[in-house]
Amino acid sequence: MADTTRVKLRVGFADQLRDIEFELPAGEPRPWDATSKLEIVGKPAPRIDGPARVTGAARYTHDIRLPGLLYAAVLRSPHPCATLGALDLGPARNAPGVVAVLALAKAGERLLFAGQDVAAVAARTPQQARAALRQISATFAPEPFVVDTRTAMEADAPIVHRGKVEERSTEGDEPGVAGGATQKGNVRMSPSQKKGDVDRGLRQARVTHEATYSTQVHTHSALETHSLVLRWDSPTTMTAWCSTQGIFSVRDELAEIFELKPQDVRVITDFMGGGFGAKFGASAPGSRLGFIAGELARQAKAPVALLLDRREEQLCTGNRPDSLQQVTLGATADGTLTAIKVLAHGSAGIGTGAGVGRNAFGIYSRCPNIRVASHDVFTHAGPATAFRAPGHPQGAFAIELALDELAAKLGKDPLDLRIAHNEHPVRRHQFELGRQRFRWDERRKQAVDQRQRNTRMRRGVGVAASIWGDFGRGKAVVATVSVGRDGSVEVRNGLQDIGGGITTVMAQVVAEVLHRPLAAVRVRIGDSELGPGVGSGGSTTTASVTPAVRAAAEAVKRQLDALASKHFGGKPMRWDNHGVHRVGVTKGSLAFAELCKHIDGEAIVATGTRPETYGAYPMKFMGGNSYQIAGVQFIEVEVDTWTGLVRATEVLALHDCGRVMNELSCRSQVQGGIILGTSYALMEQRVMDTRRGVMLNPNLESYKIAGALDVPNIEVVFTEVHTGANNTGAIGIGEPATIPTAAAIACALFNAIGAPVRDLPLTPDRVLAALGMIPARGD
Amino acid sequence: MSDSPRFTRRTLFRGIGSSTLVAGCAGQPARPPVPVDAEPAAAPPLDGAAIGPGPAPLRFTLNGAPQTVEVAPSATLLELLRHSLDATGSKLVCDRGACGACTVLVDGVPRPSCMTLAHDVEDRNVTTVEGLAAQGEPSRLQRAFVEHDALQCGYCTSGMLMSCQALLDRPGQRIDGDAVKRAISGNLCRCGTYPNIVAAVLSVAGEPQAPRGA
Repeated sequence: MADTTRVKLRVGFADQLRDIEFELPAGEPRPWDATSKLEIVGKPAPRIDGPARVTGAARYTHDIRLPGLLYAAVLRSPHPCATLGALDLGPARNAPGVVAVLALAKAGERLLFAGQDVAAVAARTPQQARAALRQISATFAPEPFVVDTRTAMEADAPIVHRGKVEERSTEGDEPGVAGGATQKGNVRMSPSQKKGDVDRGLRQARVTHEATYSTQVHTHSALETHSLVLRWDSPTTMTAWCSTQGIFSVRDELAEIFELKPQDVRVITDFMGGGFGAKFGASAPGSRLGFIAGELARQAKAPVALLLDRREEQLCTGNRPDSLQQVTLGATADGTLTAIKVLAHGSAGIGTGAGVGRNAFGIYSRCPNIRVASHDVFTHAGPATAFRAPGHPQGAFAIELALDELAAKLGKDPLDLRIAHNEHPVRRHQFELGRQRFRWDERRKQAVDQRQRNTRMRRGVGVAASIWGDFGRGKAVVATVSVGRDGSVEVRNGLQDIGGGITTVMAQVVAEVLHRPLAAVRVRIGDSELGPGVGSGGSTTTASVTPAVRAAAEAVKRQLDALASKHFGGKPMRWDNHGVHRVGVTKGSLAFAELCKHIDGEAIVATGTRPETYGAYPMKFMGGNSYQIAGVQFIEVEVDTWTGLVRATEVLALHDCGRVMNELSCRSQVQGGIILGTSYALMEQRVMDTRRGVMLNPNLESYKIAGALDVPNIEVVFTEVHTGANNTGAIGIGEPATIPTAAAIACALFNAIGAPVRDLPLTPDRVLAALGMIPARGD
Repeated sequence: MSDSPRFTRRTLFRGIGSSTLVAGCAGQPARPPVPVDAEPAAAPPLDGAAIGPGPAPLRFTLNGAPQTVEVAPSATLLELLRHSLDATGSKLVCDRGACGACTVLVDGVPRPSCMTLAHDVEDRNVTTVEGLAAQGEPSRLQRAFVEHDALQCGYCTSGMLMSCQALLDRPGQRIDGDAVKRAISGNLCRCGTYPNIVAAVLSVAGEPQAPRGA
C-alpha cells in the first residue's frame, strides 16, 4: 500500500484560484478546498457552550469548591530591589485558620521586583489567609533599582541581573524567534533580522526619515486572574483545576516540580476567563503558583485554592514589554524604498522577549535592504510574557507611522507606498479592496480640507497591515470521535476553550462529516485525560485541532459506511442529513439511528491526528515552510483639537485566516483584537513610580481598558484563502487581528492633525503637544 | 421603594463627604493608627440594632427564594453569594467596583456586589445571573446573548447580563445602541464583546420581559 495519495485541489482566494496536485500522507482525508460544499462548517453557529456561560452554570477555576478546601495567599516583596534579611513565619503559622505556611525566599536572596514571591500561607478562608500574611515579619535591605527603560540603558544604571540570562518562552510565543544573545550591563542583545545591505541602501536614498517611536507596557488584564486549585489524590498523584491556555503545559510543569509522572497529574479547565498569552504552565511568569499551591496542599493534607487578586495579576503575571524604536527609512525620489532599519530596545522587566515582531522585516519586503535589531533591557519590574501577537503591535506602530511620515515627505499616498512594497498577493488584494470600501481617497482629501480650514473636530484615516504565520502543529493533537449504538455522537480532546469558541468548531467539523445536526454532537474538552491537545497560543488551536477531529470523524464514518454497505449488500449509497440511502432506489434508506443499531458492541470509536502542514500557499512565512497570513485594517479617528482627545470611530478590517470555520465566533475574534488594539493605542499604560519603583495603577480603575463607549464601529471582511495546508483548511485569527490596530490609529491621527504622535498611548497631552499647543513631556 | 440599599462602601463615602476623604488622603488631620485587622471596638448601638463583630443573622430574598444566613458584618454580598450560597455566577474581578463583573440587582437596581455589604440587603430582593433563567430555561436576553455571540470567555457575561436586564426592565425606556452602551459602561470586557452585546440587547428591546425568579 502506498503511503501517499495523489490529490487535485482548487486553492487560492477571491478570483485567483488555481488547481494543484500533490501527495497527501496516507490515511489523510482529502482537504476541503474551494470546490468543497460544506453545510455546517463556515456557517455562523452560536456557541454550544453559550447556555452554560450565560446562566452562571459554567464553573471556572475560581468557582471550584471542594470539601476542606483551603485558600492560599502570597506575601510579595514591596521593594523593587532588596536583599531579604530575616523571615519569620511563626506568627502566621499561629494565626486564626492557618493550616500551612511556606517560605518562598531565603535570607540573603536578592529580590528583583516589587511583587516577587516571599512567603505563602494556606488558611480556611481567603480573609484568614490575607490576615495571616500581615503577621509575617520580614526584613529587607533595599538596593539601588531602575524601573525606567531609558535609564536602565545608561552605563551607570543599577544592574538588574548579575549573571547571564537565558530566554524563557512558552507556547504563547511565536515559534522560532528566540536566538543566541550577548549581554552588557542591563542590555541583552539578540541577533538581527537582516537582508541586503541596509547601510548601502541608506546611501542610495534621496529621501530619508529617521525618528524614535515608543510604546508603553501593556498588561493582559484577563478578567479571571491566574488561578489554580490543587488536590493531592495520593502521595504521587494529583488533580489540578487551572485557569490556563495550555492544560498539558500545566500538567508537565506540576509533574516536573513534584517529580511525578505526567500521567499521574490530571488537569481540568472546563471554563477559563481569558488569558491573552499569559496563562501557560502551572505558574505565572513572575510567581511560582504551581509550587506554592502544591506544596501548601501537601503540607496541609488538604486541597488548596490559589486565586490571585487583581493587584497581583498586574504585578507578577506578565505584560507586553515597552519599546523604544529608532526607525530609519530611505527611498529614491520617486518613492522606492531602499532601506528599512529599526533599532529597538524594550524592557520585559526582569524577563526577556521584548522584540518588535516581524512587521518591519516581513511586510514591505520589496525593499531590498532591511535590518531589524531588537534588544532586551532589564529593569526591576515584573517579567513580561507572550501577549496576543508578541512584539507585533509595537513593531507595527513604529514602522507604519514611520512609513506615513516618509510618504508625507515624498508627497505620496501612504497606501500607494504600501502596495508598491508589499509582495503578498492576499494583502495586496486587501489593500485594494479596502481602498474602495473605506472610501480612502475621498476621506484622505476630507482630512486635508479640515486641516486647512483649521476646524476644531478633525477626522483622519490610516491603514496598517498584519503579518502572522500558519503555525498549526502536526501530530500534537489526538482527537477521539465516537458514535454509540444509541446514535449519540461525541468528540473528545484534552484541550481548553479560552473563549475563542473551539468547542463549537469541533462540533461543527464532526457534524459536517457525519451529516448530523450540530446539536447532536457532544463535545468534551478541558481535561488532560481526554487525550493530547495543544496549548492555545500562536493562533494555532483551530489549525491544530480541527484536522485531527476531522480525521477521527472520517475514520468513524468509514466504519459506519462498512456497516451500511453490508446492510445494502454492497450496492452504491450516499449520505445525507437523515442517514444513508441506496443510490437510485427510492425505498432503500437507513436512518442514522437505525444504522447505529447495527454497531457491534457499544460504540464505534476512532482517534485522529494530523500530519505536519502541507499544501500550497500564495506566500510562505519567512524562514519556514508555512503559510503567511495577511490582514489589513483601515481606521478613521476623530480628534478634538481643543482637548486633544482622540476617538477611533470606524474600522474596516480585512483578514485572512485560511478557511473561516465559524463565521460568528471568527468575527468576534477580529472585533476583540481590534478593541484590544484600540485600548492599547488610546488608553492603557502601566505607570511606574520611578522614585519608589512600584506600579502606581495595579488595578482596573486607573489602569484603563476600553469600555463599550470607547469602541469604534467595526466592519469585518474575511478574505477566505484555500491553501490545502491541512484537511480543514483552518489557520488562525486571534493574534493577527490585533496587530495593525494601534498602528492604523496612529496613522489616522497623523492624517487628521498633520503632525505625528510617536508615543503610545495617544493621550490628549501628546496630541496637544504635537499640535504645538502645550510643551511636550520632559521639555 | 427605596432606590438603593442602605450602605455600600460607596454610599458610606458619600455619607462621610468627599472633603473628609480628601483631607484623609492628604494625611491631615493626623489620627491615631488603627490596626487594620483589629476587632472593632464596641460602637454605641444605632437604633439598638448594632451587629457583630461575629456572624449575625441576615434575611433576604435571593432569586425569589427566601434566605436566612449567618454572616459576618464585614462580609460583602459577593462573598456571601460565592462562598456561603455557592452562587458562583457573579464574578470577583477587580474587588473595587471598577469592572462590573459582580453586578447583581438589588430591588431591581444594578449594584456591584463586591462593594455592597451583605447585611445591607436585609429584607431586600437580590437577583443574580442564576435568577434570570426561569425554571432553568434561559431568558430571552440570555438566549439573545448566545445567538449574537455576546460572550467569549464569559467572565464578564454575568455582570453584563444584569446591567442589560436592568435596562430592559426600566419602564418607558426607548432603547437604542447608545442607551445599551451607557447601561454597560461600568462593565469591562477584555475579549471585546461589546458590539455583540449591544446587538443582543437591541434584538430583544421592546419585547415584554418574562417574569423572573424561583
